[in-house]
Amino acid sequence: MQTCSGESSRGMKLIVILAFAFFSGLSSSAGEYKCGSIECYEFSPDTKDKESLQRGLSAYMNFCYGCHSLKYSRYKRVAEDLSIPLDIYEQNLIFDDSKIGDLMHISLKESKAIELLGAKPPDLTLEARLRSPEWVYTYLNTFYEDASRPYGVNNKVYANVSMPHVLEDIQSELSEEEYGRYIADITNFLTYVSDPSAETRKQLGIYVILFLLIFTAFAYLVYREFKKDLK
Amino acid sequence: MQPKSPPNPIRRQLLTSITSFLGLVGVIFAAIPFLSAFRPSARAEAAGAPVKVNISKLTQGELMTVEWRGMPVFVYKVSSEAQNVLSADKSKLADPNSDQQQQPEYAQNDTRSRKKGIAVVKGVCTHLGCAPKFYPEATSQDFDPNWQGGFFCPCHGSKFDLAGRVYANVPAPTNLEVPPHYFETDSTLVIGSDGAS
Amino acid sequence: MTTDTRTKRFLSWIDFRFPLTEVFERHLSKYPAPTNLNIWYLFGFLLIVVLAMQIVTGLWLMMNYTNSAEEAFSSVEYIMRDVEYGWLIRYMHAAGASAFFALIYLHMFRGMMYGSYQKPRELIWLGGWFTYLILMAEGFTGYVLPWGQMSFWAAQVIISLFSSIPVVGEDLATWIRGDYLVSGITLSRLFAFHVVLLPILLIAIVFFHILALHEIGSNNPDGIDVKKHLDEDGVPLDTKPFFPYDISHDIFALGVFLIIFCSVVFFFPTGGGYIIEYVNYEPANPLSTPAHIVPSWYYTPFYAMLRAVDFPLFGLTAKFLGFATMMAAVAIFAVLPWLDRSPVKSIKYKGILSKSFLGIFVVSFFALCYLGMVPPTETKTLLSKIFTLGYFSYFLLMPIYTRIEKCKPVPERVAEV
Repeated sequence: MQTCSGESSRGMKLIVILAFAFFSGLSSSAGEYKCGSIECYEFSPDTKDKESLQRGLSAYMNFCYGCHSLKYSRYKRVAEDLSIPLDIYEQNLIFDDSKIGDLMHISLKESKAIELLGAKPPDLTLEARLRSPEWVYTYLNTFYEDASRPYGVNNKVYANVSMPHVLEDIQSELSEEEYGRYIADITNFLTYVSDPSAETRKQLGIYVILFLLIFTAFAYLVYREFKKDLK
Repeated sequence: MQPKSPPNPIRRQLLTSITSFLGLVGVIFAAIPFLSAFRPSARAEAAGAPVKVNISKLTQGELMTVEWRGMPVFVYKVSSEAQNVLSADKSKLADPNSDQQQQPEYAQNDTRSRKKGIAVVKGVCTHLGCAPKFYPEATSQDFDPNWQGGFFCPCHGSKFDLAGRVYANVPAPTNLEVPPHYFETDSTLVIGSDGAS
Repeated sequence: MTTDTRTKRFLSWIDFRFPLTEVFERHLSKYPAPTNLNIWYLFGFLLIVVLAMQIVTGLWLMMNYTNSAEEAFSSVEYIMRDVEYGWLIRYMHAAGASAFFALIYLHMFRGMMYGSYQKPRELIWLGGWFTYLILMAEGFTGYVLPWGQMSFWAAQVIISLFSSIPVVGEDLATWIRGDYLVSGITLSRLFAFHVVLLPILLIAIVFFHILALHEIGSNNPDGIDVKKHLDEDGVPLDTKPFFPYDISHDIFALGVFLIIFCSVVFFFPTGGGYIIEYVNYEPANPLSTPAHIVPSWYYTPFYAMLRAVDFPLFGLTAKFLGFATMMAAVAIFAVLPWLDRSPVKSIKYKGILSKSFLGIFVVSFFALCYLGMVPPTETKTLLSKIFTLGYFSYFLLMPIYTRIEKCKPVPERVAEV
């Protein structure tokens, strides 16, 4: 049997340090959001503010839903989550003969859209998850005049976008701050619609973790109790 | 190695029991999402949602068939003479007073309807599920020389009257089911809901 | 008759016909586990739990998923929105995949540290290696199923690697795809692999792995051969029965694991983009490539190696060489039992060289993991090359450094540690 000078295993400590450094460094890689040519505006979505969501929904239905479907979402789910009575929703927020349980499709055909706008307006159900709420907020805020474009506008986040500035009139009517809040409502709504189970998930999560903490505490006591046998 | 015996067996037993109980509770709670996921999804609910029907053009003797939850629902007019017959002649029926729960409370009457004059019944024979045929006229038929109007099921010969009540001594055991329904207006019937109170 | 006698009679009825009690005692309740097992020995149990969880959540997902190119993406949103608790089941399955890999890497590392692969446990190690291989395929096929942009393009990139094989490459890639491009046909067959073929193989190999383990008995952090000292019943002295000692440790570990796991599922289900990449929230589009195609974090060390080999050699393309390097990096684990010439098992008793090289391996692995996630630059590619060498040096130089280094004497009994 060969012998050598003794050394305690530093390996374990090395791994812990590495793992720590690694995980803290990770924040700079995946999920990095830049907003096209600019840094994203600061924005914290609040999907618990039902009034904001309702305003956002209303704005969406008036200005966006003509071209942008929400085809994975159902009217009924939106009504229930936003605490809007179903009959009121049906009367005021469904503009065709869709039923309350239906998916939120639009009537604009893709070929027509391409003819009018040059591109198909994407479905927006998951846009806030795909791009981030900050991106959506910044995008809606950074339309600017550009005579070289077919609709006279361009966008700092999405260069040469085919979308006209639908909210142009609203923007001219409202103060900058008011417009900011208007956009915030729409962004909140889109954030909600991209992940409708978010609030339920977090609330349930609290109870689950609490239960697990109690369970693990007892499991630890049992482990320690049996370990006494082996001393 | 030979483990020593526990210094405090009661504590050990207590701790083990509590932890096991908590574990069992955890497993039951963990099962809930999986069991719930089996329930009809929002898609199924939407497809099975109540159906609105326009009955303004429904004529006497006409059978309107409406699909609800994948099943045919028969909607038809019942004249006042026919209504009288339904109340008067119950001798041949197996369940003349609709004692069996085949209909909502508001349909537990002689015409088994919410609104006199309009019948709403599921077109599913209560024997083995065929769609019964509509014979509204009170004329003699091959299957019954004293036919007073109603339904005859071609599969195994079950007979029902104009209120969907089953005859005695036929294969079908119970009256035709009346689905929940209400009249939103005089010309709009909603099948699949009792309507808001 | 008391309940106790009834139970005894029932059990003997079964035992006469099926080795229930014998198997239960031999492999579970009375399995002799060394007394010096530590935290690193908890991951096997946790892996079994995660495997079971993936099967259950996967089965439930399957009930509502549609495996066609047209319907796959929307069927996943259907699960997330319309199926009761569908969102929870989906998040559990996605996080479960990452948990599976985190645990298996820790489990493998235990083996590397304590020489659990050494004679006579080579088959256990090979079975485990094969499990890891199947798991990589399972993870890959699973990620394709939601048919988002990342699903599609990851499939595109990985399958096109096969086209780099000389002579047969193109035809092979077409044969794998079942089509001239990654399409719904490819999706359907990957679905069949993910749901039937690979899980069955996984369960079979894990069964083999555990059986092989129980035949020899567990190793321990000191590499002591506990079977050298037995009691009068033939049970090794330095062991304790699995029940209740190890099972209570495992249950406690399960609690800790579930706290971490549930924190992720309920509060960080997309893992900040590491469990579900944001790009995958867009349906697959063959005409538009995302800016960064990145495999899941558990593949990125190998992806970094693939990209590091950017030069042709001996008439072989850089693409093929990178592919071959990547395969070699996974395959080389398998021959570890035959690379290690040390007379001792555990790193605790090996010399400074073994400790250093294992350290180099760990640093390289983490570094490559990071480098595989980020867009390549000249510096980063150079670093990837260096760390690839570091990774391979652990293995390739092992026959030398394990022979020349001086080691500590291993005690005979656990009490002497």
